[in-house]
Amino acid sequence: MSNLLLLLILLPAVAALVCYFVRSSAARKLTVLGTGVVLTLASLGLLGQGTFEPIAVGSFLGISSDFLVTILDFALLGVIFYYGIKHKSILIQGFTLAQAVLLVWFELVMVEHEAVPALMGDQLSLIMVLVISIIGSLICIFAIPYMKEHEEHLHLKTSRQPRFFFYLVLFLGAMNGLVLSNNILWMYFFFEVTTFCSFMLIGHDGTEVATKNSVRALWMNAFGGLAFVLGMMLVYMQTGTLNISAILAAGPAGALMVTGVGFLCLAGFTKAAQVPFQSWLLGAMVAPTPVSALLHSSTMVKAGVFVVLRFAPAYAGTFLSTGVAICGAFTFLACAALGVGQSNGKKILAYSTVANLGLIICCAGINTPLALTAAVMLILFHAISKSLLFLCVGTIEQAIGSRDIEDMRGLYAKHPRTALITIIGILTMMLPPFGVLLGKWMAIEAAADSNIFVIVMLAMGSAMMVVYLARWAGSMMGTREEGARPETQPLLTRLPLTLLCLGAVVLSVASPWIYNSMLAPWLGSTPFVVGFGSLESVHGTFIVVPLFLVLGLGLLYAVKAASGYRKVKIVPPYLGGANATTDGTYIGPMNGEVPFAASNMYLGELFAEGKLTSIFNALAVALIVLMLGGAL
Amino acid sequence: METLILVIIGLLVAPLVGGLIAGLDRRVTAWFQSRQGPPIMQAFYDVAKLFGKEKMVVNQWQILCAWVYLIAAATSVALFFAQGDLLLVFFVQAIGAVFLVMGAMAAKSPYSQVGAQRELLQILAYEPVLILVFVGFYMVTGSFSIDAIWAQDIPLLAKMPLLYLALGYALTIKLRKSPFDFSTSHHGHQELVKGVLTEYSGPYLALIEIAHWYETILVLGVCALFWHTNVAWMAVLLLATYMLEILVDNTMARMTWRWMLKRVWVLGMGLSVVNLIWLYAR
Repeated sequence: MSNLLLLLILLPAVAALVCYFVRSSAARKLTVLGTGVVLTLASLGLLGQGTFEPIAVGSFLGISSDFLVTILDFALLGVIFYYGIKHKSILIQGFTLAQAVLLVWFELVMVEHEAVPALMGDQLSLIMVLVISIIGSLICIFAIPYMKEHEEHLHLKTSRQPRFFFYLVLFLGAMNGLVLSNNILWMYFFFEVTTFCSFMLIGHDGTEVATKNSVRALWMNAFGGLAFVLGMMLVYMQTGTLNISAILAAGPAGALMVTGVGFLCLAGFTKAAQVPFQSWLLGAMVAPTPVSALLHSSTMVKAGVFVVLRFAPAYAGTFLSTGVAICGAFTFLACAALGVGQSNGKKILAYSTVANLGLIICCAGINTPLALTAAVMLILFHAISKSLLFLCVGTIEQAIGSRDIEDMRGLYAKHPRTALITIIGILTMMLPPFGVLLGKWMAIEAAADSNIFVIVMLAMGSAMMVVYLARWAGSMMGTREEGARPETQPLLTRLPLTLLCLGAVVLSVASPWIYNSMLAPWLGSTPFVVGFGSLESVHGTFIVVPLFLVLGLGLLYAVKAASGYRKVKIVPPYLGGANATTDGTYIGPMNGEVPFAASNMYLGELFAEGKLTSIFNALAVALIVLMLGGAL
Repeated sequence: METLILVIIGLLVAPLVGGLIAGLDRRVTAWFQSRQGPPIMQAFYDVAKLFGKEKMVVNQWQILCAWVYLIAAATSVALFFAQGDLLLVFFVQAIGAVFLVMGAMAAKSPYSQVGAQRELLQILAYEPVLILVFVGFYMVTGSFSIDAIWAQDIPLLAKMPLLYLALGYALTIKLRKSPFDFSTSHHGHQELVKGVLTEYSGPYLALIEIAHWYETILVLGVCALFWHTNVAWMAVLLLATYMLEILVDNTMARMTWRWMLKRVWVLGMGLSVVNLIWLYAR
């Protein structure tokens, strides 16, 4: 057991060092591939062994591991402080210094260092380990051919890939450590490592805009780190323990502790880029696409929602819980609205990520077994679909040189495989019977119990998401010339795309069993009963497998009908005039050919980013203050 | 077993009734305009004629999308008749709506592109209202499943009248009636030609027509749930509602999407929220 754990946390660190110091691309490729395979197997092995009670981790070379983590903590804060000075950011320096001072006081004065078992594995941790290790590894593998081409575009003299893969792979180990922590100080350490890795990855290209955005990401997450330290101290003051499972077992004991947990949630909010902290994640779009994919699906932001979800039992039934639900629902609505106004594919995905994270946090705040089930389902399926979509945008961007959805019009004509996978990916984000929608369905059913503000925000946000996803998928469809050249892709690009696409569909079919084997035991109570491949509850029933069968057969029939289109007469579209010989043009004035152009409506007057962002930020700050103030 | 029979009835009867309603609609509309109008069976004749026409498309996506639209609409009606989960019925219906839009976007035609954008705006307007109506059902019955409604002993209209009014907005949009018919204008000479439907012709247009009949039955079905205690009153409610729809259709000019979003969000959602607050307070 502990060997597997060491493997999951330490192997990425070792592999990262290999990537950094062995400067051969073949060795790097092998290391990344091998790490991916081993991590995948190890996470499945851990799943096979099942949950485990908190266990102690011994010592390394005679130094106790707790002490080692403390040393590394301060070293890391030192490094972050150094970057604060380097980039002349008072905010980073201030937040880091405050963390260091508080941490010294906490470790030397407050904490009586009793032995706390460092790692634990409940079902939530195991699911997270699977998400991190498998999806994360696929993204790292995708990055191998991607970064090669990326650097060819940049004409670099010396490759920066060793550094890139160092942080990319290290990230996976830090995330595994975070989700398996039982000692809150360990959790804090890994929390900070992910902050640092994301900072280095966002700034990877070293351009002015990349540096600017990485600095913003660092100060916002350093603020989150400060909130984490404060939360940790307050919780310790009330409960007198660093043991997370003991804290959760104690439940919401006293205002001091609930406020502390509130600060921990605030730390989660910054990491999960909830409004008003969304700007760092949007800024992170300047990084190479695999970084975005990693940050948005299996790491970083999922660390944020994980922290909020992990401590859910510690604030169940309090005002804080309602506050968390409202903040999450507000983010869902706000970012869904901001997404409507975007035409940049990556930005659309970014806003949709933040919106979905808001939904997950909202579910954690609703805090009923049904809502918590929804939260975990959303984490799992959102990670798969979103990583797929980011990798698709990356592939498209390298193929057509743009990430704007207007430039992706009719993409099917030239890149049918990529277009098709992207369309499927988009459909798995918004339509039944796929997993993300299953999660959304559960969320709405759970929210009907909670609060009228929450349900109204969810209803509106959910409609807006359909708008921007549907028009994107629709615009990629187009006419393919007969005998057009087939699309070619490197194997290491095609493999992750295909696997993720299959995963999104197949795991959705398996959702009743995922629920039965993983979620029901975690919750202790069972909101759903599984029968006939359906999830039944007192609230309602989602018939997963029958719906898959009916719609799947229907789709097969439709595909068959459509594949016979060569027998059907293909006609040029109606353009309100005489069609010219060239596709998409008509005979206009002076007998000239006028090309037809159309673009999506982005409803700038209602959903302008510039106009709405400041309003949403102000409202969100008010809601967070309300949430924390009300917890006291 | 009983469920299966209901599903089969739903799948077979819904398009027939839907087509009949379409025919009646045209008769009543003609009567409003002092015309005689086509025979009641005209909708069926139209579809039969469309099926006999040559198959023509701009590209294969249209075939796929037309079929998926029909299949999703039929599935949602089947689920409705199986007394399934209202939210799920609604989400399955959304598959059809989304594929209709995507099919229109697949063609490089300005009219169908504009129609698709407007259809998306219509979705944006009615979706939240419908979800809130279903939450209203949940507040009263304690479940999103339709079978829980039959356990109620007084008509739901008494508890959620404002939600019924809000549903009226969604109904007008979903039936593509004036003032909200701007994604598929009914009349060939108008500026949009035929909006989302511009590029569909022959058998594929027929599929979409049948899907629309299914959707009509679905929305009227949701209306019917408001008076489940008595079949006669249910019929009266439906008749009155549909007559009102026709009246509105014939007396209102088409409006812009701005007007629609404002009306439906402010008034429709406002009505829903007020009604939901009553239900929460209870």
